[in-house]
Amino acid sequence: MKKNMLSSRLSRRDFLKVAGAGLLVTGGAGVLKKFLLPEMSALAQATPPNKIFAATDGWIHLPPSPIYPPFHPDDLSPDPMFTTYIFGFRDVTGQTDAQILNQKMKAQHSAPLFWLNEGEEFKLELRNLGLQMRPDLTDAHTVHFHGFKNAIPFFDGEPSSSVSVPMNRAFTYVYRPHDPGTYMFHCHVEDVEHVHMGMNGLVYVRPAQGDKFVYNDGDGSTGFDREFAMHLSEVWFESHWADSHIQLPEWSDYKPDYSLLNGRVYPDTIAPNGMGYDSNGDLIPPSSHPELQYQPISSLVTCNAGDRVLLRFSNLGFMQASMTLEGIPMRVVGKDATLLRNGSTDLSYMTNTITIGAGESYDAIFTAPPHSGGSGADVYLLYNRNFNRSHSQGSFGDGQQMTEVRVYPGTLSAQTDPNT
Amino acid sequence: MRKHSPLKLSKLAIVLMIAVVILAATPSQSQKAAAQGPQNDGMVCTTGPSFSLTSHSGYIGTPDGNVVYMWGLSSGADDFQYPGPVLCVNQGDTVTIVLHNTLNRAISLIFPGQDNVLADGQPDGPVFSGTTLSSLAKTAAANNGAVTYSFVANRPGTFVYQSGTDPAIQVPMGLFGAIVVRPASHSNWMFDRAETAFNPDREYIALLSEIDPILSQRMESGLSFNSRNYHPRYWMINGRGFPDTIAPNYASWLPGQPYGALAIIEPWHETDNPLPAAIRYLSVGSMDYPFHPHGNNVRIVGRDGMPLEGAALEDLAYDKYSIPVGPGQTWDALFTWHDPEAYNSNSNPVTVTFPNIMDMFFGPFFSGAPYLGEQGAIPVGTTSQNQCGEYYHIAHNHALYQITSWGVPMTGMATYTRINPPGGCQ
Repeated sequence: MKKNMLSSRLSRRDFLKVAGAGLLVTGGAGVLKKFLLPEMSALAQATPPNKIFAATDGWIHLPPSPIYPPFHPDDLSPDPMFTTYIFGFRDVTGQTDAQILNQKMKAQHSAPLFWLNEGEEFKLELRNLGLQMRPDLTDAHTVHFHGFKNAIPFFDGEPSSSVSVPMNRAFTYVYRPHDPGTYMFHCHVEDVEHVHMGMNGLVYVRPAQGDKFVYNDGDGSTGFDREFAMHLSEVWFESHWADSHIQLPEWSDYKPDYSLLNGRVYPDTIAPNGMGYDSNGDLIPPSSHPELQYQPISSLVTCNAGDRVLLRFSNLGFMQASMTLEGIPMRVVGKDATLLRNGSTDLSYMTNTITIGAGESYDAIFTAPPHSGGSGADVYLLYNRNFNRSHSQGSFGDGQQMTEVRVYPGTLSAQTDPNT
Repeated sequence: MRKHSPLKLSKLAIVLMIAVVILAATPSQSQKAAAQGPQNDGMVCTTGPSFSLTSHSGYIGTPDGNVVYMWGLSSGADDFQYPGPVLCVNQGDTVTIVLHNTLNRAISLIFPGQDNVLADGQPDGPVFSGTTLSSLAKTAAANNGAVTYSFVANRPGTFVYQSGTDPAIQVPMGLFGAIVVRPASHSNWMFDRAETAFNPDREYIALLSEIDPILSQRMESGLSFNSRNYHPRYWMINGRGFPDTIAPNYASWLPGQPYGALAIIEPWHETDNPLPAAIRYLSVGSMDYPFHPHGNNVRIVGRDGMPLEGAALEDLAYDKYSIPVGPGQTWDALFTWHDPEAYNSNSNPVTVTFPNIMDMFFGPFFSGAPYLGEQGAIPVGTTSQNQCGEYYHIAHNHALYQITSWGVPMTGMATYTRINPPGGCQ
């Protein structure tokens, strides 16, 4: 949060001068639309974006017990099933302007998962809807495509060397991806705060070789049948509570209370994906999980015996995580969107634990073991073996950065989308 | 709560940025005599192979406006500095380091990665008082003691030197530095491999460290310190926190912190600029620093003074966008920035409408245009530090709470890579 701004920035008052105070005060879709329209003279060259993300604040669910007064659960939550205040992104592609405006204070965590195709230009529009819980803040937002090679600053999202997107404004990032692999993205404004508050997610680039490969390996060694994004993040209650209560945390005291997998902790991680959006543009919660309305990404891995399964790990927490897949060895084929190969030398390796630092990505492929018999699934666990990074009840299980790998005897149909 | 208003910090930052621009445009500044090759940016080598290092106490500035008591090692008769000088030698040199100690406690130096180190001509190693380990190396006694270390620099690479006495106190207090050993065959290779060739005008170092100001206060006050209470609040590159990291080497307003961390490169070009920059990452901190340069991956060619090569000398280098530099580790990397799109306003504009300038916040290093070497309109009242349309990419620790300075965000372990247009700023 930054209440006052660099002298180089426009103040809210300047906007009012420019735009006319009445417009902002009355608000509404019709008025905002004028703000979001590109300059008329340039409309001819503009093509529609592939995706539109909205940036705003919101509330998510973490296990309300054990309590950690006064920080958890947050007493300002609009509904007891939501415990934790966040900043975040929403995918509002295809929505009307009215629907998009409705999404203020409906951010999700982790951020929407998306992918690009190597060699195909991709446009991502970012709209800053503002922060409903913090009318005192005028924070801009950006999208930083973390790891994108040979980026130009204009599309990099680091605000001091580039531009950032004020409230009620939009900006379109253009990416021409040349390098397949697993990346991540996050807002880079006030980055320690905005990233930690939830503005982070996983993005990947599919190789020209085909959708079922991680890289252009030339020999099929990175081929897979199913893929699952495993985006790691953290929640330090005190900082989230501070943001909703107009306070500032001392960041050098950072100590995460929960470590998350795709924005949830176990056993919520194995709950289903969200179910799209309703007529107001709001997210439809996963079946039987209204509390996970704004945490729509499931981490449940399902596969058939013998399937090659890709796990794309990324970490935008601030701590190392050591993700152990118990009972199934994995082959690490890529790191930081780079095929582990130098010339003809194979640098890939087998392991059952991958230590992932902040801002790193790992691509690991395992072959699902034979099924033990019967019709039910064999269950394996994937978890962070830094157990004390989650605010659990003292027993190993609930609240952990953990999910399940369920191996079926060949009864699953082919995967259509990642994380399904 | 913020200890200082961000506006105040912003003004300070802008003053520093202006100074960067002015100094970057002026090729020669007065430099300390001990340093070879005076320069505004890049790794400052203190050349040997015979060195004299003296311990001092002194004060450094931190990005929140604080002043912190530290210890440091300086070359010859130089005043206090933090960190110690970068000792540059050639493979095969017999390196001699005479350590003079002005502090009121015994200190020593250890040289991880060097073999057969001698202290005053005798094999060095752990020192015991009876059965109690008292030091990892022979000490220079308190109050003007001295000891002479020597070793043969057998292997090229990047190495740490640091205190071996009470290291939980003396290392975070500042008794450390870097050693660079150049291959006997080629001074502009990082290792004895052609793949590690770099542009000698673009050699950088990022020596990463952390500071607990309470530890410093206790030492300044002559009090003891229980390392269980150790809690770093500042994170530094080459002894400075952002935005001081982008100030030039030997900036006059940072008298005890002579080394900057701004890297200045130009786009890779097959004939005009074929060689990468070299960046040597080292850490004397207490935990991994996941260092993330924006703009492009780095190519990791060496670790801990060892080239990345196999038993048959095959090249095992690889690319990474986050470098997890662990305590005591060194990572040797090559860095280039390519311009694959070659965007320009005349024939190849970006395929998106450039918004009205009133619809964006402009960063102080933004040129006002998306294009390398071009500048565009900037909102009235905006201060720009951009000289000629050059690009800036941040490079920072991605444990983001470590790019703060005891309450002030967007400071600490961060710096910039400046990408000039081909041929430089005209």
